[in-house]
Amino acid sequence: MKRFKLFSLNWWLLHLLAIAFFFYLGHAVHF
Amino acid sequence: MTIRTYTKSILLAALVTLSLGGFLLHGRIHPVSEDPVHFIPLISGLLSILVIPLLFSFRKTIEYGYVLNGMVVIIGTIAMAHLSIVYWPAPATVGSIILKTTLADIVILWGKFFIGKALFDLEFYGYDPGKTKKGKTYRYPNLGWWLIHLAAISLVYLLGNLLWRHV
Repeated sequence: MKRFKLFSLNWWLLHLLAIAFFFYLGHAVHF
Repeated sequence: MTIRTYTKSILLAALVTLSLGGFLLHGRIHPVSEDPVHFIPLISGLLSILVIPLLFSFRKTIEYGYVLNGMVVIIGTIAMAHLSIVYWPAPATVGSIILKTTLADIVILWGKFFIGKALFDLEFYGYDPGKTKKGKTYRYPNLGWWLIHLAAISLVYLLGNLLWRHV
């Protein structure tokens, strides 16, 4: 995972994308 | 065949059979045609049966397999816990919480996580029985890192669920 070193640009982009995805998932899933 | 290849094949078989079991079980309990939410186990299942074992098969992609496997487990844990919270057993006793929620399913799902962990660790730390394990618990690829991600993803999911409501 050298491509995603802590606090590198790739790391931030991945985490922003992941936060957006899981935030949307929380919104979308209703039982 | 070397012991390395043999052990890896056994663990890959465990990963595929466990995932296939979960996939079929979800297909039986709630087919996709009933609710779009059921796409989550469908996609997770297909990833776990086809993509993740393939990623685990090659040294170059094993890390992606390891992370994807763990993330799929975390998504499954959160979604099933969410379901149980919505349909919380009444009266909520220790027995009913253990036996009448999705706790059992979540525990089985974590078995899949540990198979992935074993596949990853055997590849990266080797098969030397005398080798000591190094590294900080909370840093990748150790278990503390996964615990932090489980907590963080649960929080983001919860915020998405509470703050961004359907009108």
